[in-house]
Amino acid sequence: MTEILKSVEYFLADRGIYMLTLVLLAIGIYGMIACSNYMKKLMCMNIMQVSIIFFFLTFGQKEGATIPVLLNDFLSADAYINPVPHALMLTAIVVSLGITGVGLALLMRIKDIYGTIEESEITGKGGNGK
Amino acid sequence: MENKKVMKKKTIGLILVIIIVAIGALRVGKELPTIGDLNTPANTNISRYYISNAENDTHAQNIVTAVLADYRGFDTLFETCVLFLSGIAAMVILSDKKKIPEKSREELLAYHKDSNFGSKLMDGAFRIVVPIILIYAVYVLFHGEVSLGGGFQAGALIACAYLLNRIIPNFENAFRKVKVEISLIAAGIGAFFFVLTGFIPMLYGGRFMEFDHLPFHADTLSDLHADGILMVEIGVTVCVAGVIITILEVVLERTDFDD
Repeated sequence: MTEILKSVEYFLADRGIYMLTLVLLAIGIYGMIACSNYMKKLMCMNIMQVSIIFFFLTFGQKEGATIPVLLNDFLSADAYINPVPHALMLTAIVVSLGITGVGLALLMRIKDIYGTIEESEITGKGGNGK
Repeated sequence: MENKKVMKKKTIGLILVIIIVAIGALRVGKELPTIGDLNTPANTNISRYYISNAENDTHAQNIVTAVLADYRGFDTLFETCVLFLSGIAAMVILSDKKKIPEKSREELLAYHKDSNFGSKLMDGAFRIVVPIILIYAVYVLFHGEVSLGGGFQAGALIACAYLLNRIIPNFENAFRKVKVEISLIAAGIGAFFFVLTGFIPMLYGGRFMEFDHLPFHADTLSDLHADGILMVEIGVTVCVAGVIITILEVVLERTDFDD
């Protein structure tokens, strides 16, 4: 019993975060498919993006390393975590903000034309002539 | 009928989710590296060079900023342009939707009669918090090189201060807001400043974004790189703040909260 627990513990310490990001990705995809409200779909897309950002950030980790800021003397390349995923994901976060903004604008147009953002009502109705 | 459709969708979604998690769980154990491993491909190749040489090359203690604005500056340039384009897109999409007429001061007072918005308490908190946020934004901007911080975060903080200004209707100043055109022009100026920083070295015999050839006085080449990084960060800050304010204004101007 204790051995099983120990192996589970090792798995969680070694690769557990991958599972968590996977679960987050699954929640996002499920929400995008199952929710009928477009606003909720947009929020689920954001959740999916966050999971991918986390997934990239896990690659930057190093055992026993510190933040990539050279506050004192330079130690060695292994003493600082990998800065590349951080730099890439910083821009990814900002782009996801732009995507959300454009998505919101599109949702407002949809609301304007159809009077609702519920998918079931929109497919049933077909718009007011536009 | 309707219910059946929704149920069908939900089952498809659940099956997909189960497949994803199952494949992931089977694969994760074998193929992905363990967390914290020093010898993964991500940690061995170029990142070692960045960490070892960032301070000598660019005089920036924050390696993330050095990578963002100098080593991979081209990437950041187009990322900024994408952000600027998204601001334009949001404005263009909503431009022929009609604006909700502005409420007058009396209407606002009547509308918020039962809530805390606009009360003395919110007003006081607003007056204390917003200047601190702005000071912090400038701090974060200029500490992008030497400690934690950077242009994107500073822009987000400035936009955050503006957001507070917008959602806490302080009725004396309720109409003190930025026009969409002006904030979008500011965002464009920020992106243009970034591009200009790339073009200046070309006039002095360098290549695009080769900060060695910036026409400033500096003792070492790494100081020139530090100047270039600071200019890039300022451009990014203005662009991000402008785009966020644009999207916020464009959406808020056309939103009716009585809906």
